[in-house]
Amino acid sequence: MVDTASWVCLLLPLAAALAITLAGTRPSRRVTAYVSTVTTMGAFVAAVIAFIGLLGESPDERVNTTTSWTWLSAGPYHFGFTLLTDQLSIVMMLIVTGVGSLIVAYSVGYMDREDEERRYFAYMSLFVFSMLLLVQSGNLLLLLAGWGMVGLSSYLLIGYYQERPSAIAAAKKAFVMNAFGDATMALALFLLIQHTGQLDYAGVFAAAPQSGAVANLIALGLLGGAVAKSAQVPLQTWLPDAMEGPTPVSALIHAATMVTAGVYLIVRCHTLFENAYVVQDLAAALGAVTLLMAGLIALVQTDIKRVIAYSTMSQIGYMFVGAGLGGYSNAMFHLMTHAFFKALLFLATGLAIHAVVGEQDIRKLAGVGKLMPFTKIVFLIGSLALVGIPPFAGFFSKDPILGEALARGWFGITIFVVGVVGAFLTGLYAFRLYFIVFTGEPSAFAREHHHAHHGKEGPFSMMWTVGTLAALSCVGGLLQFTPFWDPLTHWLDPIDPALAEATGWEELLASLLAVGLGLAGMFVAWSIYAAKRRRAPKPVTLFEKKFYWDEVYDLVWYRGAEVVTRALYAFVERPLIAGSMSAVSQAFGLGSRELSTAQNGLVRSYALALASGIAVLTVVFLAAR
Amino acid sequence: MLGPDIQWYVILSALLFSTGALGVMLRRSPLIILLSVEIMLNSANLLLIAFSRLHGSEDGQIFAISVMAVAASEVVVGLGLIVALGRRHVDLDVDRLRTLRG
Repeated sequence: MVDTASWVCLLLPLAAALAITLAGTRPSRRVTAYVSTVTTMGAFVAAVIAFIGLLGESPDERVNTTTSWTWLSAGPYHFGFTLLTDQLSIVMMLIVTGVGSLIVAYSVGYMDREDEERRYFAYMSLFVFSMLLLVQSGNLLLLLAGWGMVGLSSYLLIGYYQERPSAIAAAKKAFVMNAFGDATMALALFLLIQHTGQLDYAGVFAAAPQSGAVANLIALGLLGGAVAKSAQVPLQTWLPDAMEGPTPVSALIHAATMVTAGVYLIVRCHTLFENAYVVQDLAAALGAVTLLMAGLIALVQTDIKRVIAYSTMSQIGYMFVGAGLGGYSNAMFHLMTHAFFKALLFLATGLAIHAVVGEQDIRKLAGVGKLMPFTKIVFLIGSLALVGIPPFAGFFSKDPILGEALARGWFGITIFVVGVVGAFLTGLYAFRLYFIVFTGEPSAFAREHHHAHHGKEGPFSMMWTVGTLAALSCVGGLLQFTPFWDPLTHWLDPIDPALAEATGWEELLASLLAVGLGLAGMFVAWSIYAAKRRRAPKPVTLFEKKFYWDEVYDLVWYRGAEVVTRALYAFVERPLIAGSMSAVSQAFGLGSRELSTAQNGLVRSYALALASGIAVLTVVFLAAR
Repeated sequence: MLGPDIQWYVILSALLFSTGALGVMLRRSPLIILLSVEIMLNSANLLLIAFSRLHGSEDGQIFAISVMAVAASEVVVGLGLIVALGRRHVDLDVDRLRTLRG
């Protein structure tokens, strides 16, 4: 039952993508939207059935692999098209298809009357399929295929508004940076094939080198892929630009699912990372740097979607900290609650943007909350969950990560300090956004351009999905409350045992500090942006320029490549390659012109040449004999 | 074997061939050149037949007949060209018919 259900779950979205693409313009736009929605929901139902099937198995035997055919054979190596359904992948399947179907359903209203709705829904279905392939794959090769395909669908969807040059540029940027990660990951897989001769998870984890340079290189290559996909330092610059895509795309791909694939990779391959503890610490350190940096940048951004994008980077930073410090189930739990509340934030933002003719600048959107009370409430819920105020979801998932850090020595404590500072920043930037956009008097722009949808804030398809996500952000966190009850940790324990357990006191300290600092951040935001007791400080240029990452990359890679290319053109191509070509042609031209004078048109001279040639040959042959 | 020895045939053939070759190289009229070519071909025919008789096999005679057939077709083409040139009142001098040059 489990195997069948996982095949159905994987193939339904693919079938939808193919059907929508092949049907062309025959079905109406609405029909394609519903096909996409229904198949994604069908995939969710299949995932639930698989989950129920897993529940019926004993905890140690919840690993179901099913191979349809041998996908690739090369010499002694055979890689099957294998699906793996176990405790970890079922969690991801449920998140991807569950949140995915809500967001696709939301798109029915959001993308209504777009010119190319069908293309949008085909891409969305393709993305859901690719993401499922990534999480359901039974070996690393198939995972890499899914990894590349989510990059492709992300590229297609970021560049959905193809008439906008900035969207195309953002799509290319995302694709290139992800391709870098794909490459390092492929290198890691080559090393694994060389040293273990296979890529099946179980076999690789058993046979991989336990320590040494090779183990470090493998983990580093995988980390490169994870960092690029999850937009962590130093490959983070593509994510804010990816906000050029439609808002539901930002919610599904660039908040809830695809960008968390890096966390999934680390958790899935935790054995390989534990063999290279330096690299695993590096993952945690990169996560800490990212969460701090993204929080600082989010303070000064003026585009509402970019602020949320930076908060996504920051939250994934927490997940990297969790996974890097060995608290795998904490990271997965935060991944899940983050999918709820970040999708909620994006979709609520989408409601506001939809109502105000696509405007995303928070100065123009200011005060729109007064016109949209429902959006205001759900955005508040999302923000509270993001900051981690109990009883909203973020509290239950973020604090165990910080508590776990306390249990990991001085390195963990350093990261803990960064994490709680990040919690303060989260409160500050999240509520700066909330107070500016959703409280106070509406700006002239908002009043002028706001238009209600038949007297409501949005079409039904957008309202109920946002409502569901708001409910999940309220109660989703109650699934687990360490150290009192922890079904998720228990569920994941057979495949992802945590490296260290935080004591109750450490959990308490972490929670108190994180919540306290989060509240402090909210208070500062309130006093500046709502009560206006203090004037807003001047934005720091360093933050506004996003720590100059784009400029540095431009200088190093683009300018560097330009200099090298120009030098190659001037010193190699023009003199050597182009020069030698023209010399050859000139030589042939000259030679032929000289030779052509021999053909003078005098038949008798030809005859003479012929006769004398024969005479010479005769003499030569006679002499040679 | 009746008739003179083989070397006389060879000498006669060599004389005929030289006559033809000199004709091709020295004369200017296309008509004479064509004739000279025919003489060269027939000198070769003479050798073929002489050696055929010497060895007592018919291969050479068959070759000679083929050569004659080729020579006849050549004359048809060559004479046709010369007649066409003459009709257009072109000066029949191979040294002046040299438009096909590089």
